[in-house]
Amino acid sequence: MPYHLPPHQNISRYRTTPPPHGVLCRTLYASYPTVTMSKQYLTTHTIDDAHVTDIFSLAVTPTQILSASGSSSIKIYSTASPEISLAQTLTGAHKLGCHHIVTSRNGKKAASAGFGGEVKIWAVSEAGEWAEEGKIVDCNKAGEIWAIALSEDGQFLASTTYDGRINVWDLADGRKKIREYETKGSFGLCIDMSRDGRFTASGHENGGVYVFNNETGRMLYSLPGLVKPVRSVAFSPAGTRLAAAGDARVIGLYDVKQGEQVANLTGHSAWIFSVDWSDTGEYLLSGSFDGKVKVWSIDRGVCVATHSETEKTLWSVKWLPKTGKSEAFATAGANRSISFYREATGG
Amino acid sequence: MDFDLLPNLLGDSSGARRLPEEQFLTNLPRSILTSNPRGLLPQQDDDVQDQLSSTAPENIYHAGFVICKIEDVFEAMADCIIDEKKELVIHLKSRHRPAFKGRNAVSGAIENLPDSQIRSITFPSKKPQEAWKFTALLRILELAHEALVNGVVTTKRCCHQCRNRAFVPVTDILMWQVGRVADCISRDMFYRDPDLFIKQAVVDRYIDDIAYTLGVNRDALNVVAAAKGLVAGSFSIEKKDKSIVDFSSDSEGLLVPNSKDIDNVLIGNVRWILVIEKEATFRTLSTNHYWKLSSAGEGILLTAKGYPDIQTRKLLYILSEQRPAIPIFALVDFDPDGIGIMSTYKYGSMALSHENSKLAVPGLEWLGIRSRDIVSTSTGVMKLSSRDRNTARRMLDKDIFQEGERDEEWRVELQRMLFLNAKAEIQTLGNSSNLEAWLNMQLWAAV
Repeated sequence: MPYHLPPHQNISRYRTTPPPHGVLCRTLYASYPTVTMSKQYLTTHTIDDAHVTDIFSLAVTPTQILSASGSSSIKIYSTASPEISLAQTLTGAHKLGCHHIVTSRNGKKAASAGFGGEVKIWAVSEAGEWAEEGKIVDCNKAGEIWAIALSEDGQFLASTTYDGRINVWDLADGRKKIREYETKGSFGLCIDMSRDGRFTASGHENGGVYVFNNETGRMLYSLPGLVKPVRSVAFSPAGTRLAAAGDARVIGLYDVKQGEQVANLTGHSAWIFSVDWSDTGEYLLSGSFDGKVKVWSIDRGVCVATHSETEKTLWSVKWLPKTGKSEAFATAGANRSISFYREATGG
Repeated sequence: MDFDLLPNLLGDSSGARRLPEEQFLTNLPRSILTSNPRGLLPQQDDDVQDQLSSTAPENIYHAGFVICKIEDVFEAMADCIIDEKKELVIHLKSRHRPAFKGRNAVSGAIENLPDSQIRSITFPSKKPQEAWKFTALLRILELAHEALVNGVVTTKRCCHQCRNRAFVPVTDILMWQVGRVADCISRDMFYRDPDLFIKQAVVDRYIDDIAYTLGVNRDALNVVAAAKGLVAGSFSIEKKDKSIVDFSSDSEGLLVPNSKDIDNVLIGNVRWILVIEKEATFRTLSTNHYWKLSSAGEGILLTAKGYPDIQTRKLLYILSEQRPAIPIFALVDFDPDGIGIMSTYKYGSMALSHENSKLAVPGLEWLGIRSRDIVSTSTGVMKLSSRDRNTARRMLDKDIFQEGERDEEWRVELQRMLFLNAKAEIQTLGNSSNLEAWLNMQLWAAV
């Protein structure tokens, strides 16, 4: 909500009584004459030492959160109740550790990519138990796959490769490779699929961001870049915007239809590893190398909240599917724990 | 450093860019000469030799023993020719694949499991590769024999005494050369017949194979690698000839001495030992007398200029045995080879696992540099090559990088490296004063 006050009042207020749980961004004062109120998030729960090593990736379903780490097991926690509890451990899922885990939006499928180069597909039962459904073997040379993304219904899996190709597999039809997109050969660090399944986007080490049309199998746009490695890309829920971020410490917002950059979100002072859109598309979440997580208002183009539990790297940040009125998100990284935040309401 | 072992000849180009220890295991036949083509397997000999080497590792005895063994091989060959048998056979004892490596329960050093396999190389053979192997093995045996008989240390550089002479039985000469320690530098061997060997690595490999089969260490064959390592610090060594080498004397550092010549190590007020991957970093520090002026107290600097050779590891081992209380640190690049080098010092190489018990330094600690060091600088960060990524992935698959191993941090840092797709060299820390400030801080905290 806009909060119109004369600027000097705000500044003095900031100096004397900073908000207890959220720090306002400095750029906010520098660039905007009318200051908007920050949002406040409270830590609701922390799973200490959820894994014995770094947690590289989080994925969510309507009732669960899945975490992948440098250890061989994938852990699944129930988020249905405020007391977050361990629901299942997939022991020995990836012997050399797991760097990416994703779920389909409908919550029925998951895919995980291990440091050994293998990709496993998981399916959930009615009772909420996950089991391995199979591996991607068709046209998957050892270690070729890096980042992965699942379509909304879990039918398609897209991945990047070390040499910049983008591959798509049909999981319903024998896990066969059905598409291969070529880019300029730079390592594909991240990938996302739009919810309607029409587009695939990839971010690359050379700063390149590409959008592909899945229907035609063609590259739609090569987006003007961030120059430095792009470590996270994400489509907005409506599929109209694409966020891209990485070592440039800036989040670039692109219009998917026009293929143009429409905004730059600045404020992080370290490499950004993860971005995620809230369910409504109003807010963007980002996590960085210095352990800071930020919430950005898309409408206003500003950071509305910054939190950090530790100075250790946040490898992954994720909104939880909205339950009730307030928004909630989870962060994980090098401190090996998963922290849950919820928007402070009623204040 | 080129460890690519004849991929064209051997039809295995896939191993061309692997870690050296892995190449040893995969590219050439995992095989060793057994001494006796008449069918006697070497087990008993090994037992005898094990006892010998554990009780009295005297060079004289080794020399005589090894010479006899080599002569047995040639004698058997001669017999075969005289008897007009159709083929000559060399029985080869396998050095184990990584899967058959065990770990020392106490030190964690990589060791061989007790069983081993035998393979034969015959001549003539339908395969040209095998004929070449046979020739190369025979030639190396001949050269090793010659070195032993002449009492000459063969090194990786050519020594003039090594003449290409015909083989003669030498039991008499043995007595004459008693007491003369003589080594052949493996580089000489290579230059004696470069057309045959094609690459230095071939020679190195076969020498290790032969030594393993005969149940002796490589230096018992009088073959050593030319000294590669450099060392500087507040200590000196008393050699067997009673001369004293003072390693604080030269600001450029001194070559690592041959461990066989070391009689006594005189360690002064040393608080730390720093093993450095890079020669350039070593020189920067030694020229500035960092080993003397460090705020963490006096110390010793050591480098093997990359993957360590046996002599450097041996010296470090001797130092660590002499004063177990002195902490030993590794300063290596943040890349897969850096961690590989560190693990070679700490647990030994896969290729020479039969020698690791007297070389591994399990107390080695990792000083840097880690992922957090590159975060703070973020300049000088490079992306991983596909070779780096493959190396890192293969390392993660090894025993010492598994979950719950004593160096779990290595696993985490390798994974972070892959996740970041980034590496950085020691030089990222900055020029000499920045580097020294960083080292002061790290060593101060660790010592």
